[in-house]
Amino acid sequence: MALTALICDDSLLARNQLKKSLPAEFDADIVTASNGMEALAILRSQEVGLVFLDLTMPELDGVGVLEAIKADAMDCLVIVVSADIQPEMQKRVMELGALAFVRKPASAEKLSEVMHKYGLI
Amino acid sequence: MTDLAFSELQRDCLQELINVAMGQASDKLARYLDTFVHLQVPAIALVDAAELPQHFASRYQQQCATLVSLGFFGDSGLRGETIMLYQLDNVGVIAQLLGYSDDSASEAEMLTDISSVLTTTFLNGLAEQLENSFSYAAPRIISSRDDNFGQKLAYSAEQWQLALQVDIRYQLTDFSFDCDMILLIPGEAVLRLRQILDSILADF
Repeated sequence: MALTALICDDSLLARNQLKKSLPAEFDADIVTASNGMEALAILRSQEVGLVFLDLTMPELDGVGVLEAIKADAMDCLVIVVSADIQPEMQKRVMELGALAFVRKPASAEKLSEVMHKYGLI
Repeated sequence: MTDLAFSELQRDCLQELINVAMGQASDKLARYLDTFVHLQVPAIALVDAAELPQHFASRYQQQCATLVSLGFFGDSGLRGETIMLYQLDNVGVIAQLLGYSDDSASEAEMLTDISSVLTTTFLNGLAEQLENSFSYAAPRIISSRDDNFGQKLAYSAEQWQLALQVDIRYQLTDFSFDCDMILLIPGEAVLRLRQILDSILADF
């Protein structure tokens, strides 16, 4: 059964860029959310194995989503894809349980490397 | 003005490019000041440049403010100006941290330094994504302590008929220090920018 992956970003361009940059061998159903609140609603209503999460978003930001995932002990992996590349922010999201941090714009090579590393492809 | 308007897709695309460039600039600023910069989603608006002096004047009515302007010139007609606005209430704290002495000449020097860290990093990041490259004019500094602040602002605005106003707020968490960045692009450069955005969008 194919995994469901959620792409959460407030920018349509960023969601499309990411979708297009995913490795061809990654067999997943893709769902999308345009802010943290939408992401949480999806995570609470269906089984999602992997989340690509932006940080700077309206409504609820990526840090808020990570905190909710942690608080509710949701069973999903999170790869943060963000333009906020400050070392302190990277440290913070890793402490909140993110699997990896990928800087924007995410290249196909980098995504492939990270997903290989964690056995997602 | 309507013929210069952005479609929703173009606006989204530009917002994302700005977001990425802003992330790079914030990272530089955070390292420079050894602190953390809180990022927010930037607000983008197409404005009549003639309204800008009024806009700035009312925004900074109650406080002392300093404005640092930097002109940029790119390939194929892309050009504009960034304006950094600083509230001076807490400038002294930063000056102490960075080891600048406590006089107005040093304050101007410090704000020019911070502005060039922020704006050149931001603009280089933006240029790279637009597959362009920018060169820069020497920065200009205008303080609200100057008697002719309004006049200088008006002069700055006069050079642009239309402007893309991108309000970016850099807020530092370790100490209170807000500065705003405004990106002004003249009408013909807005047209050029739209073409570039369309070609980026065509790839996705």
